[in-house]
Amino acid sequence: MKMPRGLIRLIVAATAGLLFFLPIWWITVGALRPREDIFRYLSPLSWETLWPTNATLNNIIQLFQGDFTRALFNSVFVTVVAVVIGLILCAMAGFALAVMRFRGREAVFFVVVVSFLIPFDAIALPLFGLMLDAGLQNTYIGLILPGIGNGLAVFLYRQFFLGIPKELREAGVIDGMTTFGIFWRIYLPLSLPAHITAGLILFLFQWQAYLWPLLIAPDTDYKVAAVAIAQFTDNIEGTQYNLIFTAAFFIALIPMILITYFQKYFTASVSSLGGKG
Amino acid sequence: MRLANPMTLLVFLGPTLLLLIVLRLWPAMAALVDSLYAPRADQISLDNYVFIFSDPVFQDSLVVSAIYSLIVNPLQIAIALMLALLLNAKGPLIGLWRTLILLPAAVPLSVSAVIWGIGLRPDGPINALLMTLGLEPQRFLTSPDQALGSIILIVSWVGIGYWMTFLLAGLQEIPKSLYEAIRIDGANRWQTFRYVTLPQLRRTLTFVLVANTVANFLVFAPVQILTQGGPRGSTNLVMNEIFTLGFVQGDRSSAAAATVVLVTVVLVVVLIQFRLMQAPEDNAA
Amino acid sequence: MSDLIMNRRRLLGAMSLATFMLTSTSALAETTVNFLITHSDGRWAEVVEAFNKQHPDITINIQVVPFNDLITAIETRVGRGDSSIDLFYADTPRIAAMSSQGYLLNLDDRRQMIEDAVQSDIAMSMVSAGGSVWAYPMWTTSQFLFYNRDHLAAAGIEAPSAAIADRMTWDKVVADAAAAQKAGAPWGLLFEQVDRYYQLQALFESAGGGSGLTGENMLEADITNDAWVKAAQWYGDLFESGLSPRGITPGQTTDLFARGEVSYFVSGPWSIGAFEAVEGLNYGIAPHPYFEGGKPVTATGSWALAINPAAANLEAARTFAEFATLTEEGSRLSTTLVPNVPMQHEALAEFQTRFDDLIPKIGPAMEIMSHELANTAIPRPTSTGFIVFETEIGRAFADIRNGEPAAEVLEATQQRLEGLLARQR
Repeated sequence: MKMPRGLIRLIVAATAGLLFFLPIWWITVGALRPREDIFRYLSPLSWETLWPTNATLNNIIQLFQGDFTRALFNSVFVTVVAVVIGLILCAMAGFALAVMRFRGREAVFFVVVVSFLIPFDAIALPLFGLMLDAGLQNTYIGLILPGIGNGLAVFLYRQFFLGIPKELREAGVIDGMTTFGIFWRIYLPLSLPAHITAGLILFLFQWQAYLWPLLIAPDTDYKVAAVAIAQFTDNIEGTQYNLIFTAAFFIALIPMILITYFQKYFTASVSSLGGKG
Repeated sequence: MRLANPMTLLVFLGPTLLLLIVLRLWPAMAALVDSLYAPRADQISLDNYVFIFSDPVFQDSLVVSAIYSLIVNPLQIAIALMLALLLNAKGPLIGLWRTLILLPAAVPLSVSAVIWGIGLRPDGPINALLMTLGLEPQRFLTSPDQALGSIILIVSWVGIGYWMTFLLAGLQEIPKSLYEAIRIDGANRWQTFRYVTLPQLRRTLTFVLVANTVANFLVFAPVQILTQGGPRGSTNLVMNEIFTLGFVQGDRSSAAAATVVLVTVVLVVVLIQFRLMQAPEDNAA
Repeated sequence: MSDLIMNRRRLLGAMSLATFMLTSTSALAETTVNFLITHSDGRWAEVVEAFNKQHPDITINIQVVPFNDLITAIETRVGRGDSSIDLFYADTPRIAAMSSQGYLLNLDDRRQMIEDAVQSDIAMSMVSAGGSVWAYPMWTTSQFLFYNRDHLAAAGIEAPSAAIADRMTWDKVVADAAAAQKAGAPWGLLFEQVDRYYQLQALFESAGGGSGLTGENMLEADITNDAWVKAAQWYGDLFESGLSPRGITPGQTTDLFARGEVSYFVSGPWSIGAFEAVEGLNYGIAPHPYFEGGKPVTATGSWALAINPAAANLEAARTFAEFATLTEEGSRLSTTLVPNVPMQHEALAEFQTRFDDLIPKIGPAMEIMSHELANTAIPRPTSTGFIVFETEIGRAFADIRNGEPAAEVLEATQQRLEGLLARQR
């Protein structure tokens, strides 16, 4: 007697999903716990390890009374701007590399590849000097600029555009479309998965950035959430893990909503390994 | 195809290229120049390179990075590919499972490191679980034999869902007709994967392989937060050593030299990967 | 046509008037001092408020970065000539290195003023390097042995005496901690700042091994002598035997003692503030232990205030720094919320009566502290190589805590330090 394949698939998928989610659930539970309970039920395991007894909203209230609201807004703002502008620019560059023919294309592609091999944190120092001289400290522009030009996103678009049949492009030329028309009316609409994944790259680069915002935007008005969260360490009573967990929950919540929304564009048109075998 | 119109080309490529040159390559060049000046020296020399290559800690960090990369990259890509294949089908709550697996990438890396640090504490919940199951508690991050494995676990928890998403996007693009054709030919599940899915996924896989390799060479926040490279240098990835030299100890010039070494190594690895994954039609466009 | 010219003239006039008003208001406007610190608990609020009563024209803008990133922020921002930092925290043993890199404003013209306020040679030495003064001494620290009375009672152990003459040896502490653990305490003994040289230096000094740095300009490592190895092995054994928990970061230790999971806890006066906030924690304070046959030694030193030489508002930064560190009021207020020890002599005298109300509960903490500061406190070595030394020694302590043989780890660290320190000469 064999179990139906769909059921096995569901069990495996659900197990994997829940395993990945477990630590995040623990963060969520921690966000609802009073400070002294955070590490109380670590060992031995009990139902209380993963369920908030004495649940409280005090952490959330305390968090949003401080600078965190502003920091979360800043994070959302700079990320949205960086993703929107970055998607357009990176898609255009990826298009040029995949479709246009020009001398030095290999060299430009090499520059793109090298640009994402360079550890950003290691070059933060000279870059900081440059931005400082340009007067971009404590500005949104200073926060956003490094996140717009992303070699990895360009590379992703190039790979994707290479897979679009060139017959479509030739048809566009015959219809009298300009290069921009081909890009805008043929390539972009066909590339939703690329937009979503390139958006993911740009989003997480900006959302997760820590060292750069710490240096370029230290002022409270421009502080981003990833930096604000680090301030709950080193207080009079040690580290305020309750507030760290609460802040982490809200920082993860916004991408979670976006991911959930964009999931529907990944609905499979085929089942690659065969639903019924 | 004709050569592109230079103006059009400039519009498409110019802004991004300018950003990449000014905000990535130029500062990298500055680091390259820094690496040629020994502390307080006013003449260029290779002293910084001599110093780092004669430093056993830096030598060890190269070895640690190599071992780490050889394990973490195949591991993450294999699991991500399996999950992508699993979750590319229609099924109950399929979007939810995908979301849950991708979600760790959205948690601030510093917080991910902290919660895993607590989870892996010798008196923490993971050992509590092992003991409940009748197993021996493990030392995880406090043991030179298990610390690197623990770091791999943490970065994989963060990264697998991320790479899975790119592979899912690639799977979406495989024409349904190819599957139908091969099924009519009587191919089994493995043959379908081998002769349709894998070749069709080549470009996506190239991207994931290269991007994942680079990301794993450059990651260091969990190491910095949890082990500072220890115990006994067992988790001292090159990037962590660069950060320690440059930002903690203030030895900019040897950090710059180490950065140049790291970028060179990654570049060589990536170029080999391109060569291995290349197909003739990529350049025929 | 003439109307147009007229209008243009009027427009120009209006514009120049506006420009004039803009510049004149900005001249009258408040000066903002950007102050880079590492504590987000609001300990500066009262100081700033009192300061603004005297200087309403100077705004103090506090920028908080986490402890681990403060050095990064200073190295990068001050190192790159960022004029938007005026004033920042400087850890006293780093002053030598930071001043040699040009990160600190020379304060020799204020030497007399500072000496008068702190009246302490040790304090002056901690903010000096190469014969010059580089920072305003702000706070200092000392160390106690905290103990959980309930744990000791449960194990039938007598609570340690608060008298200096009865200072415990480490052997006795370990024996009692083991007994307390046997009687049910989760952990016997814990250092608040696990693996940090600040707190562990006292072990090596007490064992007779010296600070670890020696030679000309303190740029030679000396961490493989017998006393260092012995004390390091002793530290490692605390974790090997299970007396201290492995895998804990300094940020998590206070919480463990506060929750009643630790019998003996080594920490400074700031912990009194934290523990008083915990309901039902029955604890006491004794002098910091020493090694049998060695001398009693306690950790000291803390943050000083330094000024960025490139600061946009140098004078305003000085005004605030001097209020915060050299006046009784500022010094007292900066240690109100968090009981750090003020350096200003009148504020220090007041501070020493601070916990008198608590004597029946926890013992004469301030009496112990005054004795330690005067007799047993040894500051961390002043050296341009201190930063390198501190980082590497922290890695070594972590390895030893994780069970690696002390002699081998120290030998390897000594080797590495020789290479690294040579680059500082």
